[in-house]
Amino acid sequence: MTWLVWRQHRNQAYVAAAALAAFAVLMLITGRLMATQYQSARAACSASHSCGNLANTLVLAGPWASLLVTLTVVVPCLLGVFWGGPLVARELETGTSQFAWMQSVTRGRWLTVKVGWALLAAAAWAGAVAAIVTWWSSPANTLEQQNFQPSQFDIQGIVPIGYAVFAVALGIAAGTVIRRTLPAMAVTLVVFTFLRLFIGQNFRAHYLTAVTRTFSFLQHPVVPKGSYWLVSSGVIGPAGQVTGSPVHGGPTINFGGVQMPIGNLPQACQTLVFHDPTSFRSCLAAHGYHAFITYQPADRYWAFQGIEAGIFVLLAAALIAVTAIVVRRRDA
Amino acid sequence: MMASSNPAAIETRGLSKHYRKVTALTEATITVPEGRISALIGPNGAGKTTLLRLLAGLARPTSGEVAVLGGWPRQDPAFLADVGFLAQEIPLYRRLNAEDHIGIGAHLNSRWDGASVRERLQNLRIPLDQTVGTLSGGQRAQLALALTLGKRPRLLLLDEPVAALDPLARRQFLAHLAEAVADGGLTVVLSSHLVADLERTCDHLILLAASHLQLCGDIDTLLTEHRVLVGPAKDTTAIERDHTIVQAVRTARQATLLVRGKAPVIDPAYEAADVGLEELVLGYMGQYAAPAPAHLTMIGEDQ
Repeated sequence: MTWLVWRQHRNQAYVAAAALAAFAVLMLITGRLMATQYQSARAACSASHSCGNLANTLVLAGPWASLLVTLTVVVPCLLGVFWGGPLVARELETGTSQFAWMQSVTRGRWLTVKVGWALLAAAAWAGAVAAIVTWWSSPANTLEQQNFQPSQFDIQGIVPIGYAVFAVALGIAAGTVIRRTLPAMAVTLVVFTFLRLFIGQNFRAHYLTAVTRTFSFLQHPVVPKGSYWLVSSGVIGPAGQVTGSPVHGGPTINFGGVQMPIGNLPQACQTLVFHDPTSFRSCLAAHGYHAFITYQPADRYWAFQGIEAGIFVLLAAALIAVTAIVVRRRDA
Repeated sequence: MMASSNPAAIETRGLSKHYRKVTALTEATITVPEGRISALIGPNGAGKTTLLRLLAGLARPTSGEVAVLGGWPRQDPAFLADVGFLAQEIPLYRRLNAEDHIGIGAHLNSRWDGASVRERLQNLRIPLDQTVGTLSGGQRAQLALALTLGKRPRLLLLDEPVAALDPLARRQFLAHLAEAVADGGLTVVLSSHLVADLERTCDHLILLAASHLQLCGDIDTLLTEHRVLVGPAKDTTAIERDHTIVQAVRTARQATLLVRGKAPVIDPAYEAADVGLEELVLGYMGQYAAPAPAHLTMIGEDQ
């Protein structure tokens, strides 16, 4: 069976390998350039004790390399649409499944080998791209401390592997159920994009219970170490009311990155906001107000990567199970 | 089960297949002994393809029993190795060439005769290195047939195998098939809607019309059981006592009756004649055609 899979898809494999090689060379060149640039900037700033501002002054990557890296976010979706979608659908559509299924190989084995290689290839390809992107981004990660940003999180580490495995499994399942290549590809594109964004936006922040820390306005604000993920921040009143919720209209004040309506704060303090920031803080403290910050610590990065990749791998497994049942039970 | 000395390659009982809105096969009870070449004949939409797909295990019956080579058609390497099926659409990988397909056969079958496939294709002057997409329809059909034979199956199920072949190629192919069966160990069922194609080669008949089985049995036996009676257009009750009237064509003065039954016809008013296969088949198919010809093309129409 492996022989058949290779014979059927070797051209695709060559194209994919060539594309990966080209991408790797490009990233290697720009990545090394960036790393030396970062190191020399670092050396220069530590000589003049001005490294605190480095993130704002240093622009590391050129626009084209950055754009290319950003675009790798679509890699899993492309694999799902162009590898997964046609894999079974094209055979059902052209009838070649009837040829394959009447050789002395069971449909179960046919599917296992085909799907196994497809998922393995997708994982390897997406994993290689993600590894290159992760390496390429390491100076920027150190500099910007934005690892939890979706623009970084989604294309680095191991989540791209989970996405790719899921996307290809989705393509295969859609193709098996729909039995037509183009509709299967379209369904894969839409469902994958929706589910991926939906899970990222609605579930990711809650994989682990966020850490909340409160502190007095008389202290220095708490700033977690490393590239933490800021979930929310604001002010807690004496009755426990959170006044950090964004409200449309009315004057607001930026506190810890959150726009707060001034109207939510005690009357006595409101007038001090623009004239005397220090007194304003003392005033809030005196009225029993505290600042708080809710965040996911930086050291949870790999846990989050693992959880999200795991979710997508499990979804992929469920889709493959459905595919296997349909292939074995339904009329050819 | 039949006696073990002459086991049946195919046995079905009450085999039915319904799709959502249509009935493709109704209560078919069929026996094909081993070593036969059976002609599966019926008009388009009679259920021939459905029957072959049920026998190959590509489709599951809605109800009824089916035994192929002594077992249920199942997804199991041993069963699949024993059954060769060629679909009407001749599904092959368009972007691969004949040599690739021979390679697939070698990798996916425990017993595989690649040499005979190559030899056959070379005799037919079919290029081995040209992608299937660029071959002619006839060449594709020949390639698919050669590949199906290359599996060395014990049962060959061929859906309209000669439809894409020119008359000479048809004759050659059928002769080749007869040879393979004569060598022993092979049973063949091949479908067609043309009787002339199969008359020379086949010794067994399965006749389907509008999803119903009409006839199933040894062709010679079936021919001796049927007669054409030509006589006056009068009441046929006397004849129906010993014979079944399959088809009656009546004009004002004369009736032509296709009857089934071994008893002699005593009434001197009738002249009896033997029937040929084509006559027989058309007689049974005519039953369905008579009231409204459209019925022939509709699957699942109950008579």
